[in-house]
Amino acid sequence: MTKKIIWVIDDDAIYQIIVNKIIQRSEMFSAVFSFKNGRIAIDALQETLENETALPDIILLDINMPIMDGWEFMEELALMKSKFNKQITVYIVSSSISIEDKNRSKTYADILGYLSKPVTINDLVLIASND
Amino acid sequence: MKSDKKYPKFIRWFLKRPKTTGFITFLFLSYVACFIVSQQYKLIKEDEQREMNNILNVVHQNIEQALKNCYTTTLTLALTINDKGIPENFDYVSEKLMESNHNINAVQLVPNGIIKYIYPLNGNEAALNLNILTTPNLKKEALKSIAKKKMYFAGPFELKQGGLGIVGRFPVFQNNKFWGFSAVIIKLENFLKASGIKNVDDSKYYFQFSKYNIEEQKEIFYLTNKSDFSKNYYISTDIPDGDWKIYLISKNKNYLYSQIFIPGIIGIILAALFGILIYTLLKIPRELQSLVTTQATKLLNSEIKFQAIFDQAAVGIAHIDSFTGDFIEINNQYCQLLGYSQQEMKERNFQSVTHPEELEEDLMNLEKLRNGKIKDYSMEKRYFTKSGAIVWANLTVSPLFKKNKKVSTHISIVEDISLKKESEKLIKKSEIRFKSLFEDSPIPLWEEDFSEVKNYLQELNLIYESPETVAIYFKTHPDVVEKCISLVRIIDLNAMCLDLHKVKTKKELILGLSQIIDKDSIPDFTKQLIAVTQGQKQLIIDTKIKNSQGEYRDVNLRWNVIRGYEKSLGRIIISTEDITDRKYSEKIILNSQKRVESLINTIDGIVWECDSSSFTFNFISQKVENILGYTPEEWLENPTFWQDHIYSEDREWVRNYCMIKTNDNLDHDFEYRMVAKNGSIVWLRDIVNIVIENGKAVSLRGIMIDVTKTKEAEKDLNDSFNLVKEQNKRLLNFSYIVSHNLRSHTSNIASIVALIESSETEEEKEQLIELLKTVSCSLNETMLHLNEVINIRTNIGLVSELLNLEQYIITVKNVLSEQIASHEVIILTEIPKDTMINYNPAYLESVLYNIISNSIRYKHPSRKAIITIKFLIENDMKVLQISDNGIGIDLVRNADKIFGMYKTFSNNLDSKGIGLFITKNQIDAMGGNITVESEPNVGTTFKIYIQ
Repeated sequence: MTKKIIWVIDDDAIYQIIVNKIIQRSEMFSAVFSFKNGRIAIDALQETLENETALPDIILLDINMPIMDGWEFMEELALMKSKFNKQITVYIVSSSISIEDKNRSKTYADILGYLSKPVTINDLVLIASND
Repeated sequence: MKSDKKYPKFIRWFLKRPKTTGFITFLFLSYVACFIVSQQYKLIKEDEQREMNNILNVVHQNIEQALKNCYTTTLTLALTINDKGIPENFDYVSEKLMESNHNINAVQLVPNGIIKYIYPLNGNEAALNLNILTTPNLKKEALKSIAKKKMYFAGPFELKQGGLGIVGRFPVFQNNKFWGFSAVIIKLENFLKASGIKNVDDSKYYFQFSKYNIEEQKEIFYLTNKSDFSKNYYISTDIPDGDWKIYLISKNKNYLYSQIFIPGIIGIILAALFGILIYTLLKIPRELQSLVTTQATKLLNSEIKFQAIFDQAAVGIAHIDSFTGDFIEINNQYCQLLGYSQQEMKERNFQSVTHPEELEEDLMNLEKLRNGKIKDYSMEKRYFTKSGAIVWANLTVSPLFKKNKKVSTHISIVEDISLKKESEKLIKKSEIRFKSLFEDSPIPLWEEDFSEVKNYLQELNLIYESPETVAIYFKTHPDVVEKCISLVRIIDLNAMCLDLHKVKTKKELILGLSQIIDKDSIPDFTKQLIAVTQGQKQLIIDTKIKNSQGEYRDVNLRWNVIRGYEKSLGRIIISTEDITDRKYSEKIILNSQKRVESLINTIDGIVWECDSSSFTFNFISQKVENILGYTPEEWLENPTFWQDHIYSEDREWVRNYCMIKTNDNLDHDFEYRMVAKNGSIVWLRDIVNIVIENGKAVSLRGIMIDVTKTKEAEKDLNDSFNLVKEQNKRLLNFSYIVSHNLRSHTSNIASIVALIESSETEEEKEQLIELLKTVSCSLNETMLHLNEVINIRTNIGLVSELLNLEQYIITVKNVLSEQIASHEVIILTEIPKDTMINYNPAYLESVLYNIISNSIRYKHPSRKAIITIKFLIENDMKVLQISDNGIGIDLVRNADKIFGMYKTFSNNLDSKGIGLFITKNQIDAMGGNITVESEPNVGTTFKIYIQ
């Protein structure tokens, strides 16, 4: 089983550090990339469009972010989807426990799940092996 | 005509022409008068001429005598000259000569033309030593006498010694040699006296004395008389001794004419009078003659006329034998009436064509006529025509008297009255019909005669007086009204009247109105009298009558003058319909109406009715005054009152809404605002029902209920609902803050703790603990923020005071001075001086700080930041407006987030998403509001509303 590439999009710097450590410990992913908001992530996607192997397999997406939030990111992603033939799985990772956000996440076909913080190693293992 | 024959032909000619005869007579007599007068004139004229000649002769002779005397005197004087040429005894001789000739005023001797000797010298000294042969005006005449060697009288001229005079100069020669003159001087006065001119009767004539002046070629007159006498009759004689001429002039130039003029006129007048007399005398028989002729013509004409009338009259005329009844003469109309020819008629008598029913009466009348008992008669009778039909005719018979006064023939005139009879029949029929209508009418009818009433009122001079005057008169004169009642004559009444008055026979009512009219109904009768005085033909009133059983009945009285009796009021039809029952039901209706009305007025809403197309109200209940302040009268007066008083904002849609609903025949129930009389706005709920007739809306009925209080309550409710909603939103936001922000920290802590637990190296542990510390700090910060927000929310001990806005802006600028300086920010303040606002001091500072620092933080990288602070009033709210030219916010995306907690829109490291959240909370806590307008890359404007 080849290790997958994971992107983490979240504005919380501490969370980024923590999740990085967890990902490393899980030993399920070949690479981790962190992005401060949706806009930066989209730009990165745009750049790596040619390089299929560099594209992420899984994205952990926060909802509340400046510049471009999670939902806006999903909209942009939908527009770009046709340009790459890799299946990108998105998981929402939020500290919000509001049902509204949970329900909303279900309307996006690309969002596979909704994780509430804190994220555990088990969660990541499940995600990685969820294909 | 006969008289003509008595006279010869030429006299007859004259008799026939009185004007000519009169004129000829006048001419003849005038001629005679003229002749006599002219003869007379001639005689008078001759007489006068003779007299004048005599007078002139006498005067002439006198003058001749006087001149001769002068001649003698000069001669004598000349004899005093001796041979030496010197006069001897001049004075003595002169004296003697003067004594013998009184006419002479002075004598002179003039040797060689120089006056040397004068007697008397006294008074004549002026002439002494005058050389007359050298004096211009004397020279000529003096030389003339020398040349003629004869005595010559010079003058008259102005004498040297004064006065007019004549000088007779006798030339003296000695030995055929001129010696000089012997002269006499006679004053003109004396000369004329001597001539006898003065003795002549000057009432008839006057004299003139003249000399022909050769030098001036004209005749000079010396007597002061009317110089121009050429028009008068005059005679004259010449005196050669002095070249003089004496005229005798008749004083009255027309004297002779006047003497003949008056007799002439009298003569002509007499001639004219005589001519007229002749004319008048001759005219009389002529006039008589023409009178006779005219009368004869007239007679002839009337005979023709009569014949024409007889033949062509539109009535039948016949001359009938009084005894036999035979037609002696008959006209065409008569024949045509009966269908016979004239000849046929003359063979018959009137008895044979008369209807037997009238024959006896006709004969009887004729008998009376013959006996002179009656002078004429006329009757309506029937005739048989030739075809046997019956013709109605009006016959008038009058006798033709003969000299013995016995009637033997008469004239009968017949007029076809078949048509009249026919119409009479019709009238009778309609009369009967009217009678039956009258009699059988279901309404009580009266036929009354008001003519005497009218006459009476006319006597009182009440006709056509003003109704008010008449009414007052009747009020103050009840006796007149009573008299009028008694003067009304009831001609007839019908069966219903008996019913109405509960009597058995007409007799009980027909006696007079006084029995029928009750005291209470006198005012109503007075109305009838007023109608009479005003010449009205109709009157309708509701009145009361009292029937024979003493019951009162309400009646509708209609008083109508029958056509044709408008002047006399001789026939008047009065109907007295019993309306007691109707009145009763009317009263019931009225009562129920009143009840409905009072019910309507008790309803706590405005009940109304209006036209479905124009929305013009035709009813509105009293309540409108309570609710809107307008009286129903005010409301109904103006057709568009309702529309005009709808609150301006609602007017358009209310009208459209009503039109649409009415068009669709839908009842509707809606709410709108109206402006009350006192200017306040009243909320009305209008419940409208559409009244439909034949499938079409004819009117709208409804009720307006005052819902102002409900509306206010609703508004309050709405406001509080909004407040709750807002607070709920904030609460939700707050719960998010709690759930999201706190959870993000706690989850981080949880994760870190889990990592620590499973960490294998000390180094990693320490690293993680360090991270934990950071998280704890963040959590603490978040807790502080939440605390701050909670503090604002709880709003306890919040003190507001009057603050100088400008002062606070300066304070904030000082706090931010470092940033302002480093970023070169320009802050423009457009605030009226000393603007004071009521605010919490800490909040005001915090708000200003947050917004201004935000503007600096999000300045546009490519331009200098300019921040403008304005203060303005918007909808009675104070507004603090802060605008910048910064990067702006995409409000389309971020509208709901901008004032949220931890909402940031940029990657700016300073962005914490707490400033605007706190600002918003502080402004809300002060009862205000904050709004934002922004455009990316242009700038942002915040408006802070201050209560």
